[in-house]
Amino acid sequence: MPDKYIHGTIDGIKISVLKETTILSASKLLDINIPTLCHHEGLVPDGNCRLCTVEIGSKLAVSCLYPLREDNFTVNTKSPKVHEARRFVLSLLIARAPKAPRIIALAKEYGALPSNRFLPEADNCIRCGKCVRICKINRTEAISLVGRGPERIVTGPFLKPPEDCIGCLACGLNCPTGNIPFREKDGIRSIWGRNFNLVPCPECGTALFTKEELDFHKEFAADYCPTCRRKKIAGDLLNCQNLLVRSN
Amino acid sequence: MPDLHSLSEILLSRPNKPVELLALMQLIQAKYRYLPEEALRELASYLKLPLSRVFAVAGFYKALSLTPKGEKLVKVCCGTACHLKGARQIQGALEEKLKIKLGETGADGKLSLESVNCVGACALAPVVMIDETVFGKTTPKNIGELPLLT
Repeated sequence: MPDKYIHGTIDGIKISVLKETTILSASKLLDINIPTLCHHEGLVPDGNCRLCTVEIGSKLAVSCLYPLREDNFTVNTKSPKVHEARRFVLSLLIARAPKAPRIIALAKEYGALPSNRFLPEADNCIRCGKCVRICKINRTEAISLVGRGPERIVTGPFLKPPEDCIGCLACGLNCPTGNIPFREKDGIRSIWGRNFNLVPCPECGTALFTKEELDFHKEFAADYCPTCRRKKIAGDLLNCQNLLVRSN
Repeated sequence: MPDLHSLSEILLSRPNKPVELLALMQLIQAKYRYLPEEALRELASYLKLPLSRVFAVAGFYKALSLTPKGEKLVKVCCGTACHLKGARQIQGALEEKLKIKLGETGADGKLSLESVNCVGACALAPVVMIDETVFGKTTPKNIGELPLLT
């Protein structure tokens, strides 16, 4: 179906992609690096961080959300206009998250200084909502973005530790500014002001999951850690084989 | 904890579909003058929605409140026309008269003072609304005539 493919260039390199492919995905095919903060392969793009801005034709567009639809597109991911747009976005982000290593590195790369235009409270959260979207797609939906404008925060219901949290760490591990602290100590995992008991593997004792996680994902629930489970399945297969050989 | 005796009546007045979330919140707000935590929990389980989503909606709308509002709601319009006609002075006069600040509720729970952005009665600016009644052409002097404490 050739009409489903469209052709164009990204940074001068010719490419053919399926119609509706986003600029970000198309650029990935060419190994062109576009910086992102709120993007995750497993989530529907939300376009919150505005960092993946690129130039298409002569317009600026957020590449994670922009589907390529017209033939002969020309995308530029490194033009001075793009650089300036990203520098501006980073000057706002660094004002909000001055301690986040990734933002510091990006601001340095783009020469962005903290903006003093809105003077937001620097709390290291850029309100990209990645944690909330991840929590939702994992079906826990324990946290949400609450409030409007400058008062918007990520929190559990009633500003308390989220009671539906299962301690899976998906939010903490994916936060682009590392602003959701968590730790594991003596078989206890702590996140969002809650403590979870880790369940040790009955074979080797490695503790990977919380009890709440195992209860929540009953369909995948495993008593053993992945390594021991593999060994166990291999052992079972071997036993089967031996039995078959013997019965023959 | 508030008396939630008629909560199930309110909930059952609408079908248990997620689209009814806001309508039910408005009914709960109208009944109790705020959204009690227990009521939101009941609402979430009635509509089978995650509590986090219910809480996010409750926190988003200015018409919904998580803390108890007064029996009477006094709203000072701070829209463009009212602002130009001196809404700030009206606000200051009301704060002084009612002895509460904007956004607060009196200790006796009788009255809340709020600002709104436009009530659509710009010809009458500056406007004060008491519950559902609009009072136009207010001045720091004539607000004493408003039925504030009756």
